[in-house]
Amino acid sequence: MFRRIILTLLLVFSLGAQAEKKVLTVAAYPAVDAIVKAALPAWQQKHPDVDVKVVAREYADHHTAMTTALATSSNLPDVMAVEYGYLGRFAMSGGLEDLAKPPYLAHQYRDQFVAFAFAQGGTSAGTAGGTGGQSAIPTDIGPGTLFYRKDILDKAGLQESDLTSSWDAYIASGKKIKSTTGAYLLAHARDLKDILIRANVPAGEGVYFDAQGKCVVATSPRFKIAFEQAKAVRGAGLDAKIGAWSNEWGEAFKRGNVASQMMGAWLGGHLSNWLAPQTKGLWRSAPLPGGINAAWGGTFFAIPARAVNKELAWDLIRHLTLNKEQQLAAFRQHDAFPALKAAQSGPFFEQPIEFLGGQKARLLWRDTSLAIRPTAVFKHDPIAEEIVNAELDLVLTRDKPIADALKDAGAMIDRRARR
Amino acid sequence: MPKASVPYLFLSPFFLLFGIFGIFPIVFSFVLMFQQWDPVQGMGAMQFVGLENIRFTLEDPWVWKSLRNTFWLAIASGLPQHLVAVPLAYLINEKLQGSRNALMGAYFLPYITSTVAIAMMFTTLFSTDYGLVNALLEALEQWPLPSWLIPQERIDWLGTPETVKPVIALVVFWRYLGFNLILYVAALQSIPRELYEAARMDGAREWRIFWSITLPHLRPMMMFSMTLSVIGGLQLFEEPFILTGGKGGVEQAGMTTAMYMYRTAFEFNDFGLASAMSWLLFLMIAVATWLTNRAFGPQQESI
Amino acid sequence: MTGTDIGQRPIGPIGIVALTMGAVMMLAPFYFMFVFATHTRSEIFSMPPPLWFGEAFLQNLDILRAKIPLWRNLGWSVYVGLMSTALTLLFCAMGGYAFAVYEFRFKRQLFGIVMATMLIPSFLGMIPSFLIMDFLGWIDQPRALYIPGAAPAMGIFLMRQYILSAIPRELIEAARMDGCNEFRIFRSVVLPLLGPVFGTLGLITFISSWNNFIGPLVVMRSVEMYTFPLALRSVQSPVDTEWGALMAGSAIAVLPLLVLFVFSSRRLIAGLTAGAVRG
Repeated sequence: MFRRIILTLLLVFSLGAQAEKKVLTVAAYPAVDAIVKAALPAWQQKHPDVDVKVVAREYADHHTAMTTALATSSNLPDVMAVEYGYLGRFAMSGGLEDLAKPPYLAHQYRDQFVAFAFAQGGTSAGTAGGTGGQSAIPTDIGPGTLFYRKDILDKAGLQESDLTSSWDAYIASGKKIKSTTGAYLLAHARDLKDILIRANVPAGEGVYFDAQGKCVVATSPRFKIAFEQAKAVRGAGLDAKIGAWSNEWGEAFKRGNVASQMMGAWLGGHLSNWLAPQTKGLWRSAPLPGGINAAWGGTFFAIPARAVNKELAWDLIRHLTLNKEQQLAAFRQHDAFPALKAAQSGPFFEQPIEFLGGQKARLLWRDTSLAIRPTAVFKHDPIAEEIVNAELDLVLTRDKPIADALKDAGAMIDRRARR
Repeated sequence: MPKASVPYLFLSPFFLLFGIFGIFPIVFSFVLMFQQWDPVQGMGAMQFVGLENIRFTLEDPWVWKSLRNTFWLAIASGLPQHLVAVPLAYLINEKLQGSRNALMGAYFLPYITSTVAIAMMFTTLFSTDYGLVNALLEALEQWPLPSWLIPQERIDWLGTPETVKPVIALVVFWRYLGFNLILYVAALQSIPRELYEAARMDGAREWRIFWSITLPHLRPMMMFSMTLSVIGGLQLFEEPFILTGGKGGVEQAGMTTAMYMYRTAFEFNDFGLASAMSWLLFLMIAVATWLTNRAFGPQQESI
Repeated sequence: MTGTDIGQRPIGPIGIVALTMGAVMMLAPFYFMFVFATHTRSEIFSMPPPLWFGEAFLQNLDILRAKIPLWRNLGWSVYVGLMSTALTLLFCAMGGYAFAVYEFRFKRQLFGIVMATMLIPSFLGMIPSFLIMDFLGWIDQPRALYIPGAAPAMGIFLMRQYILSAIPRELIEAARMDGCNEFRIFRSVVLPLLGPVFGTLGLITFISSWNNFIGPLVVMRSVEMYTFPLALRSVQSPVDTEWGALMAGSAIAVLPLLVLFVFSSRRLIAGLTAGAVRG
């Protein structure tokens, strides 16, 4: 091993002694790093004098490192991958280059992307059609869908429309499923709450705050309905109380203990690859109940304001996001659903998906993605989510009255948000 | 007589390193306590807010809940560690010298197991529907044991506020028992054999020997490792973090102060508040350490 | 000693059973880590999990190798660990010796300061530490990992306790009367007697340096310079982790620690046989 180290060092030194190559630094997390690396050969043909260094870190580590870098304006990459959940914070920080301005002029590409994704990357709190700045360009999105077990539904004598026509129908179906097959309807009541609070958010508002930044948890009917339905589901014993991505969750899918799961479309790939490959052909993908369109996550690329190689960075970002082949390749290898509309057609999209019993689900997901509306993001969204989850727990496990829970949640959030 | 400067020279590496690397972070964190700072906005975004952070911390119900959790966990996981490690070290040293290495190795393994592996193992073990622990409890139903001892239905270990704390305490105990064992065995090496032999020749019983010879000699090491346990317990972060998936569990039953601090800083992006919390925690740890010192000190000073 | 001496009575059967059960419980997760390292991701993610070794180890290694330069990362971890341990043993022995053996002005206060530094939680210091490293130009350098923490208060504390209880004053006095200067005494009389505590502190220091990933996360900016735990973490994805590969990596990561443990526990024994200090 020592020899290897010496050899490596010699190699590094000798390389450094060569002509000065430009180095472009890209910071990302799995699987975005793999996507970027796969895209490099094509890009480097156009830029043979540029070395691209991909710095991969675990998802949370990456965002922590980016937070540190933005805080100290030092050690910033040229291209920064940012996930949907962190985008709001980073976008409003002032540390990212405004891509709407020259020489980038990102708005010229606006129509090529799925509307909500592009809007979400804007600085004026993501309002659709806004003319504010642009902090980041979307590369992939997670259109929300309802995966369900057709075989369980069949056994219970139900159709897909029984699940999706409305939320009441969804829950009623759940009761039937439980009584006839013993399977749970969903993994956790909280999943239901998460969807319902995102349903029909008025334009310009966020999930927890209205356009003026005032907390709406205690006043908006969305939360009341969400809490009530979650409680109904728990009360009827329809949720398995399993957290997502745990061993139990995977096992529940393998054994068919959970009949449905709402999540981003990319879950299909995971189910097929490793979560429950044996259940091939038994699943289907449906639109979310009640006609809701929502997104689960998504990846964006941004350029820090203090980055060194901004033009090269912009070129790489355009290659990653505007290039149809590139977007399709990412979709094929890593289930990264393209944010580029042009990539959302073609034979791959028309292909029946075996795991889903031959369903041409990608078309469904595309339609969903086009119908999603952006929501405004606020600085206090993470703590608001935490507080609301805590109150929901109290409602579900300690029978706290919903009105009290929402009132308390609103009060706590106000207290935090005043800071 | 040694020159007066000698002790200072011996201490110089520590103070040099501390001066360069230790002081600035402490000052920075202290100053930060009086600022409101969202780190993503860069250094210039700090805003002076006086005592606002401190007031908020003292009024935040979650801070007090996390402190209660932390103290409970520190005691519940720390005390058994030492109660078991001391006699175990004695046994290993006295009776089991042949298999000493193997035993110490076995008990030490948890300390070097990676946190990823630990998280996987214990969440699997305590899984509600498929875990070994619940399976064993169900098997026990076959035995004629009083019914209050056997739970009637499957326990959701990690999802119920009452049970998640004992599970975390168990994992911490499991992880650090071997660490304390090593310390105590090392300390036991320094007790001269002649003392034991003389006592045994005098016909003293094993328990008496343990109490009158071993324990007093162990006192300095006990103070050291107890202090470490107190500090480590009050700063507990990793085990609750991995067992509750980073969220603190239902009703924040598993959220320690250190975890709440971390989330305040990196999830809720409020560094000033996190700083105020960390200084509050520092005060508590300082008091607890001082108390431990009183209990196990004072040391015989050098001549 | 006669065979009937109480001290020689072997431990009873109940004791043996208890000890063995205890050892098994300690071993089990460790064992499973190695078992999981030899299985594929979907084999692991099932209940009951596999109980015996599988055949996917090499496959997992390949997956890992494709994602990170794992031997380089391991090399850095070893290097940083060794440097950290060597410096820590020396500096802490010096510091502990000072507090244990000498009387000097401000002794109490200085010791108080040393102790106080133990109480400060680490991650809030991330950003100021980063600023210091940036200022010194130590970003992306291993020395940023082992130099700042090279004299941990915990080590000084441990050394002090050990020296107080294991090094008799008379030995030092005798050496002084023989005309040795203070540093000579430290080097020739005291250091050789610190075997057991060196073994202990060395082990603890190496392990803590090995498992530390916050330091490298802040300071390193290229995957080639990562230490192993950080590199391993970078393979983890929120939804797409290759668990088999991760376990294989964890298993590899633990082997040097095991080796070190075996090595240092021999020192502990050597300390015993050589350490009949009195008499």
